[in-house]
This record gives sequence, structure tokens and C-alpha cells, in this order.
Amino acid sequence: MANDVQHAAMPPASVPVIRTVALARAFALGGQVVRALGGVSLQIERGAFVAIVGASGSGKSTFMNLLGLLDHPTGGQLFVDGVDASHLDRDARARIRGAKVGFVFQGFNLLDRTSALENVELPMMYAGVGRAQRRTRAVAALQAMGLGDRLEHVPSQLSGGQQQRVAIARALVNRPSLLLADEPTGNLDSATTREVLALFVQLAVEQGITVILVTHEHDVAAVAQRVVEFRDGVVVHDGLPPPEWQPVVQAPWHAGRVA
Amino acid sequence: MSLFTLLRVALRLLRRNKLRSALTVLGIVIGVAAVIAMVALGRGAQSNVASQIASLGANLILVLPGATQTAGVKGAQGSSSNLTRGDIAALGREVPTISAVAPTNRVSGQIVYGDANWSTSIFGSTPAYFDVRQWKVARGATFGDGEELTAAKVCVLGQTVADNLFGDQDPIGQTVRARNVPLRVIGVLEPKGQSVMGNDQDDTVLVPLATLQQRMIGGSRETVGTALVAATGPDTIDAAMADMRAVLRQRHHLQPDDDDDFSLRNMQDIAKANAEVADVLTVLLGAVAGVSLLVGGIGVMNIMLVSVTERTREIGIRMSVGARSRDILLQFLVEAVALSTLGGALGIGIGAIAASVLQRTTGWPTLFDPQTAAVAVAVSASIGVFFGFYPARTASRLDPVEALRHE
Ligand SMILES: Nc1ncnc2c1ncn2[C@@H]1O[C@H](COP(=O)(O)OP(=O)(O)OP(=O)(O)O)[C@@H](O)[C@H]1O
Ligand SMILES: [Mg+2]
Repeated sequence: MANDVQHAAMPPASVPVIRTVALARAFALGGQVVRALGGVSLQIERGAFVAIVGASGSGKSTFMNLLGLLDHPTGGQLFVDGVDASHLDRDARARIRGAKVGFVFQGFNLLDRTSALENVELPMMYAGVGRAQRRTRAVAALQAMGLGDRLEHVPSQLSGGQQQRVAIARALVNRPSLLLADEPTGNLDSATTREVLALFVQLAVEQGITVILVTHEHDVAAVAQRVVEFRDGVVVHDGLPPPEWQPVVQAPWHAGRVA
Repeated sequence: MSLFTLLRVALRLLRRNKLRSALTVLGIVIGVAAVIAMVALGRGAQSNVASQIASLGANLILVLPGATQTAGVKGAQGSSSNLTRGDIAALGREVPTISAVAPTNRVSGQIVYGDANWSTSIFGSTPAYFDVRQWKVARGATFGDGEELTAAKVCVLGQTVADNLFGDQDPIGQTVRARNVPLRVIGVLEPKGQSVMGNDQDDTVLVPLATLQQRMIGGSRETVGTALVAATGPDTIDAAMADMRAVLRQRHHLQPDDDDDFSLRNMQDIAKANAEVADVLTVLLGAVAGVSLLVGGIGVMNIMLVSVTERTREIGIRMSVGARSRDILLQFLVEAVALSTLGGALGIGIGAIAASVLQRTTGWPTLFDPQTAAVAVAVSASIGVFFGFYPARTASRLDPVEALRHE
């Protein structure tokens, strides 16, 4: 499979995909400092499926933006695939983001009035993939999402679930090692939510992609191998999902647990 | 991203917003059209002057009797002149940078044919006159040395005179009377149009110099009025004038501190002065039109700024999938340049049409040259770069997180 080739170029599996050391992010807001993230130290292994939960404003999105190199930390350190990414400039962050990170957002964030195909081609355009190859890979990615017959549809002609699948195809098309999903099912009904989560499980299991997802829902978080809870910008709990949370879809790692 | 991809993306985005794109380029279209039309007008004036210079005869130098600053002899003609045929012959002999010399005398008078008559200038000159002025006959022939030697009663008519006396009739072989001398018409000159000074060069009659001196005016047969001299080339005009001055001063026995008792005029200088006026006109018209182009550029900047704000989320999305600052900068820059270049191209078309309409309705000569068009396209592209840069840089410096959150 294609991911074998890709893994060969990657650091050894022993190097965690993400390692943070007292990672902090503060915002200056009119003379006053908002500490959105107050020193988070954790490690996420390759192929892991992690859920991040916590109250609104607890710093989940801030953390995700740092992991995805959309934002820069104001304290501590961040290692992506073992490489210190704490002090990279914008362009270096953009390069790593394009190559290693796929984002899925609650609001889909597709370019409107732009076909599904062109949306999925976008990351490859910035990665310098040739036109023909872009097309082939985008078509394949959309077909894998069951959207082979929706290539020329623009977002307004697609359902929420279909839009999110286009977004997932876009996130995966550059074969990232890290999939960051910030409330990806927040706008989806329960059937579509199950569909998307089953897909994430499949990506983690079959392709070794590391999935980190933020959610407010227990049954979504319960799908993960590991749940990290944030409160006021710090981690207050890190471990298995509580046994009373019922996962919306089953994953291989649920097997050994008591239902 | 390759420039080609950028361009394709830009064009697609512009097509998607047709009305706005059209309104954005309108300023550039009008600006470029104005520049093209105004410069065509200026160039028309320039080429008019250029053709006037050509009609004068290339490299023409006038020798006028009497120093211009000496009162009393100014504008001296015929017998009162201090230029002799000998002086003129000496010039031809002794100045190597002269290719032809034509002494002339001029009188004004009525030309009569049947009951038609016409007041005009009658020039007497040698056959060299036709060479010096590079003036050919449209019909018939010019007079030669034989007619000049024998003071033959022949004449060559300017087009205006021929038209007014003969209308549709063929003047060749007919006899006209000038100052009571019957002259057989042997040729009609090609039309030359207006001179640099704005008078009708075709309103003239030419006779052999001897004919004029011996039969039409009394007085000395030796003195001549103005002499027309052709230098061998445009580069030798100055040298020829210096040598001519030396020859004439010597022949007139002038002491080193005496003033010239003749004057030399380089007609090309006069023509050049006119050309300079046309140049200034071109620059002024172009500058006025350029201001409207500038306004068009500001329009592009304005719309691009609005567009950056409107598309903040799009920019955030692009950044989230790996676009670097440079990619965003280039995208907006290419859009601005594509817009303004498109506007420039449209403006050239409209400007060219406007110029030809102007020429047809007002009769002003216009000249559309591809060089101006190329410059206009280059300028409008630069306007795109210049006025697109600030908005593009603004876009490229957006914070990805903020941009994604924007709505
Ligand atoms: N750009 C910013 N400027 C100032 N404060 C900010 C900024 N971004 C986030 N914050 C603050 O940081 C804190 C954490 O925000 P964050 O978006 O990470 O929360 P969250 O856990 O994702 O919440 P939700 O569940 O509502 O999405 C909040 O108090 C927020 O107001
Ligand atoms: Mg959030």
C-alpha cells in the first residue's frame, strides 16, 4: 500500500508524532493577558486515536491550532515527528502543515463555489504536485470517501455529511501523519457522525494515521483509545475513556474492555 | 504553485465575479483608452511635422541676403540684394558638404489664363531647385539648363495655381501670362501641402531664373534673392553652414569684426522647433491621460482590499492546507495584474477606436503606434503590481487562525 512507502521516509515508530513540553499560549487582549493554554505536557504515539474533551473555552482549539502549526506557542516546546517546531517561522510552519497535517473542522471550511475536486486538489497545489497527478489523487481520495459521483459538485450542492467527507478527503490527500479534527461531527446528525467516526477508526487502524479529535460528546470521545480532558488551559485527566461512555462506533481497541 | 496555475486560478476567480471584475477594470480601461487616444493625437501632430520636414526637402539651408539684424536691408529682394550668382556658384564650388545650390528670385504677380487670373508668388530659379526641394512634376517636365540659359518663356505651375486657372483642363502646352510675359506651361508640380510655416507651398509658379531676371523684372542680372542649398546629409548641415559662412564673408570682403551681411538658416531647425512643440503636446496629453490611469489603479487597489477582507476565510483555508505567505501574496498579485492587464488590453482597443473617430470627426491627424500599445499594456500590468501589492501583502500576512475564524 502507498502508506508503506510513506512510512519508510518517516522517523521510526518509537518517535512520538507529537510531544509537548509545558506548551503554553497566551493572548494579549487590550493590555490584559489571556492564558488560553497554561503549560501542557503530553506525548501522542503514531497511529493513536485521541479524543480531547473539556468545557467551552478550556483551550482545546488553541491546543489543536498549535499542534497543527497554524499558531505559534508563547511558551514551552512542541515536537512534531521528533522535530522541534516551537520557534519555526510562518513559512516553515506552512510547509510542515502542508506535508504532515490534515485538518477537519466543525464548519467544514471548504472553498465555496469551488468544486469538490478542486477543493481536494488544493493542498496538492501548494505541495507542488503536478496537475495530472493532482487530479488522479483527488479523484481517488473522493472515491474513497464514496463521493465518486460528486466530483463537480460545489459545497452548496452537498449535504453536511458529504461536505465533511470532502473536507476529510482534502485533509488526507497529502497523506499526512496527523489528522486534526476540531469538533468534526458538531454539525452532523447521528448517522453521519457514525459514518465519519468509522472512517477515522479505519484510518488509524489501516493506515497508521494519528487522529486527534476534539468533541463535546461522550459517545464520540468514547471511540478513542485515549481521552485527554482540558480545563482552563491545562490537562486535568488523561487516560482511557470512562467505561460508562458508550462509543458510537466500535474500534479494535475496544475489544479487551468491559462493555 | 506555478505561475501558470496561479494565473488559471486567478482567471477562474475573476470569471466567477464577472460584474465586479468588469467594474474594477473599468478605471484601467478608461485610463488606458485615454492615454492611447491622446498619444495617438500627439503622435499624429508629430508625424505631420515630420512629413512637413520631408516636404521641405531634406537638409535644406537658406541663404538670405542682408544680415537680419541690419536695418534697411532686411528682407531685401531682387536688385537690392547683395547676393550674387557668383556668390552662389562659389558656394557650390568651394563647400564640399553641399550637394546642390539653387539661387532664387521671387516676385508676386497675377497669372492670367483666358479670363481666369490668380495672384501668386513667381519664383525664378535654376533646375537645381527641383533637386534641392526634392520636388517632382506630376505632369509634364521641369525646365533644364537650356531653358535657363536662353531665358525661355516657360513655366511650371504649382498644383493650387493649376487648379485655379485650369480646373479640369490639362494645362500642359497652354500659355499663361505673368507680368505681361507669355509663358508656356511645361509642367505641373506634385502637391506638397502646407509648409512648416503653415502656408500653401503649391500656390506658386516656377520660371527659369534668367527668364524672371531678364523679362519680368528690371535690374541687375547678377543679384539673386534667397538661395536654397542642400547639404549632403543631415550630419553635414552644421559643417556646410560654417563653410558657407566663411566663403561668403571672404567674397564680401568682411573684416573679422564685421557683422555678416547675409544670414544662413537651417530650415530643419525651424521644423525641429515645431516638432518639439508636438513632442510637448504628446507628453502633456499623455500625462493628463496618465492621471486617469492612476485613478484606475487606485480603483483596482480599492477593490482588491475589499476582496481581501471578503475572502479572509478563503485565505485562512488556503493557509490551513499549506499555503505559504508567498503563495497568497502571489495569488492576489496575479489577480490584480491579470485584471489590470485585461483592462489595459481593452483600453487599447477602445482608445484606438476613439482616436480614429476623433480623426474622422475633427480632421486632426492621429497616429496609433504599436509601441504605445505595448507600453500601455506594460504600464497597466505595473499598475496591477503596484496597486495590488499592498492588498496582496495584507492578505499574505493574515494570521491563519484569525482568518479561519473570520466570518
Ligand atoms: N485570538 C484570541 N485572542 C484572545 N483570546 C483568545 C483567542 N483565541 C482564544 N482565546 C481564548 O482562549 C481560551 C481558549 O479558547 P479555545 O478556543 O481554545 O477554547 P475551546 O476549548 O476550543 O472552546 P470551545 O469548546 O467553545 O470551542 C478562551 O478563553 C478564549 O477566549
Ligand atoms: Mg474550540
